[in-house]
Amino acid sequence: MRETFTKGMARNIYYGGGVFFFLVLIGLTVDTVVSLPKTDNSENLTEQVAAGKRLWERNDCIGCHTLLGEGAYFAPELGNVYTRFGESTEAIKGFIKSRPKNGIPNRRSMPQFNFTDEELEALAQFLKYSDGIKTARDWPPNIQG
Amino acid sequence: MKYESQGVAKLYFIAAIGLFVGQILFGVIMGVQYISGDFLFPEIPFNVARMVHTNLLIVWLLFGFMGSAYYLVPEESERELFSPFLAKLMFWVFLVAGALTILGYLLVPYATLAEITMNDLLPTMGREFLEQPTITKIGIVIVALSFLFNIGMTILTGRKTVITLVLLTGLAGLAVFFLFSFYNPDNLILDKYFWWFVVHLWVEGVWELIMASLLAYVLIKVTGVDREVIEKWLYIIIAMALISGLVGTGHHFFWIGTPDYWQWLGSIFSALEPIPFFMMTLFAFNVVNKRRRDHPNKAAVLWALGTAVMAFLGAGVWGFLHTLAPVNYYTHGTQITAAHGHMAFYGAYVMVVLTMISYSMPIMRGHKASNERAQVFEMWSFWLMTVSMVFITLFLTGAGILQVYLQRYSEAPLGFMVTQDKLAIFYIMREVAGLVFLAGLIVYILSFFVKGKEVEVI
Amino acid sequence: MEGGFFYRQKNLMRSTNKIPLQRASNAALASLLNLTLLPVLGFAYLIFTFKKTDPDGIDRYHTILGIKINIIAATVLLVVSGLMIFFGGFDSPWTWVYVISYFTIVHTVFIVFAIWALVRAWSGEKLRSSFTKT
Repeated sequence: MRETFTKGMARNIYYGGGVFFFLVLIGLTVDTVVSLPKTDNSENLTEQVAAGKRLWERNDCIGCHTLLGEGAYFAPELGNVYTRFGESTEAIKGFIKSRPKNGIPNRRSMPQFNFTDEELEALAQFLKYSDGIKTARDWPPNIQG
Repeated sequence: MKYESQGVAKLYFIAAIGLFVGQILFGVIMGVQYISGDFLFPEIPFNVARMVHTNLLIVWLLFGFMGSAYYLVPEESERELFSPFLAKLMFWVFLVAGALTILGYLLVPYATLAEITMNDLLPTMGREFLEQPTITKIGIVIVALSFLFNIGMTILTGRKTVITLVLLTGLAGLAVFFLFSFYNPDNLILDKYFWWFVVHLWVEGVWELIMASLLAYVLIKVTGVDREVIEKWLYIIIAMALISGLVGTGHHFFWIGTPDYWQWLGSIFSALEPIPFFMMTLFAFNVVNKRRRDHPNKAAVLWALGTAVMAFLGAGVWGFLHTLAPVNYYTHGTQITAAHGHMAFYGAYVMVVLTMISYSMPIMRGHKASNERAQVFEMWSFWLMTVSMVFITLFLTGAGILQVYLQRYSEAPLGFMVTQDKLAIFYIMREVAGLVFLAGLIVYILSFFVKGKEVEVI
Repeated sequence: MEGGFFYRQKNLMRSTNKIPLQRASNAALASLLNLTLLPVLGFAYLIFTFKKTDPDGIDRYHTILGIKINIIAATVLLVVSGLMIFFGGFDSPWTWVYVISYFTIVHTVFIVFAIWALVRAWSGEKLRSSFTKT
């Protein structure tokens, strides 16, 4: 076998395997995108939620937090924060608003972003929408995220 | 140096090492923030330090890949670079764009940076690793395309080898998949899904092609083993990388609202992802064992063997550790991920670039290899950085296991911040290991300036 | 079992006989497999093949090496991990901090060592060779 396994065969496995599995990935991607409406909570994806997502991005929240487990691991998971905060957007807004400007001695603290009320509402609605996404096995495992 | 234009690589490598230093300094800052949460707050909040840390990594690795390509391609293609001028021009464009972006992160609040750079016209900012302002992203595309044009023209009009063709495929893939960074839909799942088309298909896809071809090139040079043998290995390694890695993207689609079948597909295919890295170790050991000559550049051989082993350890073993869906259910988004990320990036991509630098830099400076003393310094830096990275990984793994147990697995799960307080000892030890890494990096830089009896001049 | 997958016959320096070399390669591969995909089965192969090997040959050397590596690995990995669990307690998070980190890193060290043994077997050499290459 060692003499018969040629470079040409190795090359064919590379091209054949690469192209084949790339096509498989595309096929699965199409299927995934088509079936997303079942889980993606898009019925609640309002203009306000979209504005909240922009705020989320513009302040690089992902640089400390995780959202559905992706992001940085410095601050709590926010994919279920709406549930954790007793399904209250007011509690979320209150928390964000109350962050001290100069932090807390020796502790990690979220910066004070000085959001307007409208912005706070959009951000809270975005987090509520994220919480409404149906993840497999209802991830995260428990309310602590 | 066989071709004069290979020399442009030197610029790229110097910039890469400079940015590497910046990356590690910010890593050390974040390490302190993990211990004492208000360190440098509110001047440099954690998210800013992290952005600088990860973006510098990406930028310097790209400098490293480009430098490696500029060095390797003329020699393989047996002709001068298509346009050395374009290579130099793009170097400065990329360096200035990169520096301005990093300064932007540090000098103004991120939201202000988004406003100045008119993010609202085409919002792409604020997603992990893709934090660069849209205008920087456009700059990256321009630089990448010019680079591909330059390298492509050199390869296609010269001698074509398996190494250059694989490298070109990898680099083209890098440029193409980066285009997904411009797609940022409001639908969070779609956003996340296609975000992985940049991140996963880079580091667990096309970058593996780049890594394997760079490693194959250096191994041909330092061992003198028959090109036919090495090319066969190269093909089979990258074949396994794509066969496992493409559908292996599914291990990111377990818990983000995507269909359940990804738990099976992602688990099965990503369980195969260690195979290409395993084969890289087998390959590197095999050709070094069968070497036809003892190359005077022992440091380069050490880096080459080191990158194969550490990539297997970091990307292969530590990836497998948490890739199966039932395990990942508990470990997703914990310090386990951070542990894997650190060792995988270091082992696979940092070390392969340092391998290329180690091999080519002495040649560009007029010697076949650095003098003995300089090589001793370099090998010390290898061990300091590599061993400290193993410890960083082990401490983060320990932190991650404890975190998973207390916060996720336990009957009475603790809150995130309560858990974090209990991980303090690991974060302290990680920071110590991080400082040793920094010391190793300083020794590495010193190795370029150490004088001694020079080996043969070329 | 295909040990010398990429082995090039013309590079053969040591044993002129093909069969011991093939057996040495297979033994080293069995040792590596026992550490990874086929625990117990790989070891059974090593024990089974032992009798067929030439007492002074490279095949005997790599069979014994494989048996040794795997006995040491089993001891160091399973026994030590078992003790950690025994003394640490099944329900303590710290037990799992130590066991998982320890098992992963030490296991990998054995695998990397076995990979090196395999490439040495492919070239018909012992771990340490007395001659140097030119």
